[in-house]
Amino acid sequence: MNRRKLLSLLGMSPAILAGARLEAQTSKKPGAKAPAAVGSAGKIEALNPRGMPPPITLVPMAPRLPSLDGKTIYLVSDGFPGADAFLNQIKIWFSKNMPSVTTEYRLKAGGFADDDPKLFAEIKAKGNAMIMAIGH
Amino acid sequence: MVTKAFKELAILNAAKRGMPHERICFTPHPVWGKTADELRVYVDGPDPVSGKPLMKEVVDGLTVPLSDDEKKTGMVSVSVGPPTFTDTADNLQDYYLNNGYTDFLPIILPTEEKVDAMLKGTSHHPDEVVGKMAAGAYPAWSYTVKQVAASAVMSGARPEYFPIILAIASSGIASLFSSTNSFAFAMIVNGPIRDKLEMNYGIGALGPFAQANATLGRAWTLLSKNLGNGGIPGDTYLGSLGNNLNYNNVVIAENEEASPWPPFHVQRGFKPEENVVSLFRGLGVVPGQVARGSSVNESPQFDYQMSDLFSTFTGFFGALIIADPLVAVRLKEQGYDTKEKLIAWLYKNTTQTVKDYKGRNYSYLFEYPQALQGREPFATWYKLPDDAVIPHFPRPESFNIVVTGGQTNAYPQAGNLSYGVSVSIDKWM
Repeated sequence: MNRRKLLSLLGMSPAILAGARLEAQTSKKPGAKAPAAVGSAGKIEALNPRGMPPPITLVPMAPRLPSLDGKTIYLVSDGFPGADAFLNQIKIWFSKNMPSVTTEYRLKAGGFADDDPKLFAEIKAKGNAMIMAIGH
Repeated sequence: MVTKAFKELAILNAAKRGMPHERICFTPHPVWGKTADELRVYVDGPDPVSGKPLMKEVVDGLTVPLSDDEKKTGMVSVSVGPPTFTDTADNLQDYYLNNGYTDFLPIILPTEEKVDAMLKGTSHHPDEVVGKMAAGAYPAWSYTVKQVAASAVMSGARPEYFPIILAIASSGIASLFSSTNSFAFAMIVNGPIRDKLEMNYGIGALGPFAQANATLGRAWTLLSKNLGNGGIPGDTYLGSLGNNLNYNNVVIAENEEASPWPPFHVQRGFKPEENVVSLFRGLGVVPGQVARGSSVNESPQFDYQMSDLFSTFTGFFGALIIADPLVAVRLKEQGYDTKEKLIAWLYKNTTQTVKDYKGRNYSYLFEYPQALQGREPFATWYKLPDDAVIPHFPRPESFNIVVTGGQTNAYPQAGNLSYGVSVSIDKWM
């Protein structure tokens, strides 16, 4: 399923893919009807209870490498169980299939969503790319 | 690289953080508990979402040049829809339900008239920004007094309850949190406002026996959904089983008058006459009747009873003792003339071996990374031999005590709940 279709099904306008104004998603049931227009008899008006989402600043992706030959890739677990064992298999795959690639395994410090400035600085200084494993 | 169960979460979260084109590949789920051979099959096989060879996606993800869309910068504004909806009352009930604004129970529709009436419960201006809330590691939403009033109306709360609801909203703590753990949330209300609102702290104190107790907790859940964008399954809510307590959370009005100890808010530095709401987060509440020390043939040993209960809790969250006044009075007679003495005993006598500690998933997930950073007591605990005995909870501050109930029997309950914050209700009058 492509990303455009997924964002749309989840109530998020695929227009964000083009940087346009975004509709915030809710747990909307498919086929939910919009209310009728103002002024109809027997109708009442009620407030939208939603809060105010922050605007989104688009973040451009990091430039890609022309090739992985001779490069160092950091394999980073964000702490979910099983990620270390899984990334070890990724490491083994690289050693067998792309032996010129150096892989470095690291466990990110802190909670799942925390930054690890020390690790990120190390990766910037010594690495060429990072793969982060998220989920259990 | 994300396991397949979190596909929607990964894509939506990346988009919300300004990276709708983040290169993500997916693996089968779970990876936890799989053997090396099973994981090798994952790596050698396809991405279960795209169907393409996983490692080809990894290599391509790192090497295929960026598209123009992937290089975009700028700002995207987010709309939540029109300010009002108009239809018959029945259709509006369906609309609010089908669009995720409710807890799937009928609501009081937030008409302008109802919201204006609710706003009379506070002196604060309708357009004043109350706070920000996020149901996890997501960008926080902000909200005004009037927006909080809409959720308060929907919950069935009266205007006189509104200062408590505003106090809760100002904390920024959502009662629907995104973890796969299905967290529970609780509040303790202290001060004269308990009687003003006819809150129940007698028989059935934790049950559905007073309008204020019922609607305050419900309002917390509704505002967590509507103002904090919480509770969207697969996106901002991932609780695998869910938690039934989330319908109206655990609302505790302390029975200050029958307690032999100072009330909870006084322990937190407030004056007795101040009105305060204190918020907790954790995994749930269990009854105390079945623990060791609860024999009817001998004098009940409530301290041992609680310690036995707490030994089954995760030390990552705290331990909240919810004691009927009969329990509290008996504990004082046993020598615990202050809550601090009881807490000191519980901290010292609720223990575990290091081997058991290391085997608990919370310890590995949350405390081992802290140990690596040198944070105590985890750094020391992880260096001890497996047979060493350590406290079950990291510090005495993990324990809290509240007294409530109707004194029909000497029963405690216990929450695997951590104290979060105490907020002045008076500020929001």
